[in-house]
Amino acid sequence: MSRNQDSSHDLSRRRFLQLGAGAGTAALLTSTGLQGQTVNTRAHVVIIGAGAGGMAVANRLSDRLRGGRITVVEAREVHHYQPGWTLVASGVWSPDKTTRPNSQFMPPNVDWIRSSAAAFDPDNRTVDLANGDRLSYDYLVVATGIQLNYEQIEGMSADLVGQHGIGSVYASLEGATRTRDVIDQWIATGGGQGIFTHAPTPVKCAGAPLKMTFTTLSRLEASGKRDSFDVDFFAPGGGLFSQPWVNDFVKQRFDEQGVQRHHFHTLTAISPQDQQATFTQQDGSSITRDYDFIHVVPPMSAPDAVRNSDLIAKEGKFTGNWLDVDIYTLQHNRYPEVFGIGDVIGAPLNKTAASVKAQAPIVTENLLAAMQGKPLPRKHNGYTSCPLITSIGKAMLVEFGYDLEFLPSFPFIDPKEESWVTWTFKDKMLQPAYYAVLEGQA
Amino acid sequence: MTIASILTIVQYALAPYLWLIVLAAVVLLGAQLIARLGGYRYLRHKSAVANGLALVAGLSGLAWIPAFTHSQLAYVATTFDWVVMIAAIIGVAIFALLVFHPLSYLLRARH
Repeated sequence: MSRNQDSSHDLSRRRFLQLGAGAGTAALLTSTGLQGQTVNTRAHVVIIGAGAGGMAVANRLSDRLRGGRITVVEAREVHHYQPGWTLVASGVWSPDKTTRPNSQFMPPNVDWIRSSAAAFDPDNRTVDLANGDRLSYDYLVVATGIQLNYEQIEGMSADLVGQHGIGSVYASLEGATRTRDVIDQWIATGGGQGIFTHAPTPVKCAGAPLKMTFTTLSRLEASGKRDSFDVDFFAPGGGLFSQPWVNDFVKQRFDEQGVQRHHFHTLTAISPQDQQATFTQQDGSSITRDYDFIHVVPPMSAPDAVRNSDLIAKEGKFTGNWLDVDIYTLQHNRYPEVFGIGDVIGAPLNKTAASVKAQAPIVTENLLAAMQGKPLPRKHNGYTSCPLITSIGKAMLVEFGYDLEFLPSFPFIDPKEESWVTWTFKDKMLQPAYYAVLEGQA
Repeated sequence: MTIASILTIVQYALAPYLWLIVLAAVVLLGAQLIARLGGYRYLRHKSAVANGLALVAGLSGLAWIPAFTHSQLAYVATTFDWVVMIAAIIGVAIFALLVFHPLSYLLRARH
C-alpha cells in the first residue's frame, strides 16, 4: 500500500469536505439515489494507468468496495494536467502550473505499483509489468492513455520538438514549453512560413491543433506584423473538427484570418535540417514545403502493450489500434471482466478529460454491477467537450456526443458563440474541475 | 453535481488566490472595525469622495478584470459575458465602498 504525507493531508481535507457537505446534502443524495451503495467483494481490481481516467475510477471504486483489493499501476510520480498544455505552448501559463504529485490524488486504500504494463494476457487474467512482476486480476480497468507515434513520420522524433522550428504541443510538458519557445523565436524573426498539421488518426484533444493555430494567429496579430507571416494548415481529411457546425465555423474563421487550408494532405516526412515537410496527398503523390515553424501532430494509438494483446480491436475501424470496448457500456467486447476508460478506448470521439468525467461514473457503476452479476446499468452518450480557443482571451464551449448534437451543460452559454466567460472557464475553472474529477468528486 | 463536488472545485479554484482573499478580508474588516470603534455608522456618515472612489474602483475593473483572466475587454461580447462583467464590477465597487467609506470617516475625524 502506498501512502505519503501529502495523501494523508489530502485525505483529511477530503474527509472534511465530505463531512461538511454531507450534513447538508445527505437527504438530497439519498432521495435522488446519487449516493452509491458499497459492494462487498473479495475481488482484486487492477487499474492500469493513473491518468485522468485511472485515477478517477480508483477514487470512485475505493469509496465503494468493501473487502476487495484495488491495485493501481502507474510509473509516474507527477500528474500532468494535459489540457493546460495548449496554454503553456501559447505562452499564457507557466509550465509548473500543470503539475501536481500523483500521491495527492491517489486514494490511500489502494496498492500503487510504480511501473507500467508490458503485456496483457486476458485469457489468464494477468498483466506483466515493466518491472518484471506479473499481476493477476479478477477485474481489469485499462486506462493506459495514448501512445504518440512520432516515428511514423519519417525523420521525426519527439526529441526534435523545440529544434529546427519544430513544435508539438502533444509531446510532453517539456515539449509544450519548447513549442512556446520555438514560436517565440519564429515571431521574433518578423516573418516567414508557419505550417500547422493534423494527424490521420484519432488524437487526444482533437481541438488542440486548431487551438495552437488560433493562439499563434493571436500572437502574430499582436506582433503587428501579421502580414509578414504565411500560415498554412494541412489536414489529412476534408474536415477539421468532428462536430459539423464547429467544423464549418473553423474553416470560415481560418479563411477570414488568412490561413491557407490544404485538405487531404498527411504529414509523412520531415527534414529538420532543411526545415522541409513532406505531405502525401489522396492520390499518393507527395508535395514538399519549406517552413520556418511547423506544429506537428503525431499519429496516435493505444500503447504497444495493448496493441500487441488480445484486448485490441480485431474488427471494425478501430482494428489493431484501440481497445475493443462497447462504446456505450465501456465494457470489453470479448472479456466482460475488462473495462476501458479514456484515450485508449476505440470510440469515435472521447479522447478528452471531459470525456473521462462522463466515463468515470459509468465505468464504476457498470464494473460494480458486473461484480454482482447484474445487468450493466449505465450507458455513455459519447459526451465530450472542447473549450475551443479562437484567440488568446476568448473561446467557445463546444460539448457534444456520439450523435454530434450539442450537449450544453450551461443554458446560459451558447456553444456557437465566442465568449470571454468560456475563456475564463478554461483559464481558471476547468483545472479545478479536473482535479475534482480525479478525486471522484465530479 | 453534489455540494461536496462544488466545494472541491471552488477550493481548488480559490487556492492560488488565498493570500489575496485573506489580504482583502483583513483590509475590509480592519477598516470597518477601527472606524466602528471610533463611532462610525454607515448610514450616519456621508462621503461623496468615498462614493466616487468606489465608483472609480469598480469601473477600473473594465481594464484589469479581463487582464487578470489573460483576456481583453474587446472579447467581453456575449450577453452572459456582460452579466458576469457587470456583476464583478459591482462587487469590486461594493468592496471599495465598504473600505473607503469608513476610512473617509476616520480621516474626517482626525481633522
